[in-house]
Amino acid sequence: MILTDLQLDALAEVFNIGAGKAAASISEIVNDEVQLSVPSIEFKPSCLINADALTLNANKFGTVRQDFHGIFDATALLMFSENSALEIVREMMNSNLSLDELAEFEQDAMCEIGNIIINACLATMADMLSMRLDCSLPSYSIISSNEIVTEITHNTVQEYTLLLNVIFTSVKRQTEGRLVLLLTSASIANLIQRIDQFLAGI
Amino acid sequence: MHTKLLSTVVNTVNMGIIVVDTNAKILLWNQWITNHTGISEHDVIGCDLTTAFNEPVSPALIKAINNTLSYGLPTVLSNALHKSPLPLYSQLNNKNEHTLMLQSITVSYLAYQNNKTACMIQVIDASTSLKREKMLRSHSESLKREAITDSLTGIYNRRFFDDHFKLSIHNAIRHKQCMSVFLIDIDYFKQYNDNYGHLLGDKTLKAVALALKQQLARASDMIARYGGEEFVMIFPNFCYEQSVHFTERLIKAVYDLAIPHDLAPPHYRVTISIGTCSGLPSQNEDILDLADAALYEAKQQGRNRSVCKNLDETSTLCQN
Repeated sequence: MILTDLQLDALAEVFNIGAGKAAASISEIVNDEVQLSVPSIEFKPSCLINADALTLNANKFGTVRQDFHGIFDATALLMFSENSALEIVREMMNSNLSLDELAEFEQDAMCEIGNIIINACLATMADMLSMRLDCSLPSYSIISSNEIVTEITHNTVQEYTLLLNVIFTSVKRQTEGRLVLLLTSASIANLIQRIDQFLAGI
Repeated sequence: MHTKLLSTVVNTVNMGIIVVDTNAKILLWNQWITNHTGISEHDVIGCDLTTAFNEPVSPALIKAINNTLSYGLPTVLSNALHKSPLPLYSQLNNKNEHTLMLQSITVSYLAYQNNKTACMIQVIDASTSLKREKMLRSHSESLKREAITDSLTGIYNRRFFDDHFKLSIHNAIRHKQCMSVFLIDIDYFKQYNDNYGHLLGDKTLKAVALALKQQLARASDMIARYGGEEFVMIFPNFCYEQSVHFTERLIKAVYDLAIPHDLAPPHYRVTISIGTCSGLPSQNEDILDLADAALYEAKQQGRNRSVCKNLDETSTLCQN
């Protein structure tokens, strides 16, 4: 199964609109301007995902995970390298603590920020492609790049991966992350159908 | 029977539960919420969530509820970014800003019988975990302080100096500013310890450390115990001429303590020798080696004096 360039462009546009909404929400919460963009999107069978492209050469990732069900079965993983994730939180909280000292409740903040980004992207997609989504609560964990690569490339149920680059820009820094959507082939078929309906309606 | 059991559970559970319909009208309000608002379920069923409390609800929570109802996606409000989204109080009889409960909130989408939908707000009291975190953090801060402090003299220790020195060199190079390094050694200290004992030796070390520290005027200046009876000072943006004058003050400050030392001719009191090096440092950190060489020269020349080296002109000034 493949997505044509036109279909990928349509998805990229949908996710960028979602990212814009997420940025507005986060800016409101932290009272400071935050920008989010999705400059590139890639679609591949999960087993063919390039580990280097996925892991950005980081050893550990702060990962927010949400599972989606319905006509669209997917797992969304928003990943920032562990240091970037904690730096984002530290900046949001105006904290002067060292990264080691960032406590659990501060990691909750990352869970919330990830939840906002994933929800905004997926909700915009659901909206524009007229889909209904059911979704689990977000969970935050720190996992190694090996674990994440193994999970994605050995996934026999969710055989396809949508890999999006996410650029998170705040006053002080620009951070690159990955939004990974792991999809079943049935979900991809549904997704392609909805994108085509959307494109036909423009 | 089952409904009664569920209702009992909902009203017994140690967390707040509010359920609102698609128009944000309250469908359920459990006992826990009543306990922390003083408002009973009976008075608010069917009311708009924003008017149910006598105080405002945070806009972030309202937005989260709207999003959850529109898209069916759950939302979390972490305590780190939202302290108290709902006006809930730990102690109802003492409602003020301090008793406003710190909360962690989860907003979930509920789809139930006949395609009805609603939104559930779960509230957890985050105060206890935050208190625990605060305690752990203050503990960690005090450990961090201890790790960089010399336990005898109370000034910074060698470990702190090592890090601070690298940073100072880096900053001086980056800003193209000169810096000064002072190595200070108590004269005939081994003989002092042998003669007066370690208890008095420690007392003298403390007194000298304090006298030296009192000469520091700028927040950017640092003094650390370098080892045994040796101290080190790093002054950013401090040039050769300034350091020459400053060493005079240091020597006088220790001399004026007038601590007797029978084995230290010719003054027979505790004195110090200083080696300094000033100028724009290079990456290879030779400024410290040059200060050490200057200290050695000061000792050779008879102690209770300083030798100052200038990195920029490699000139040396000796004074006593």
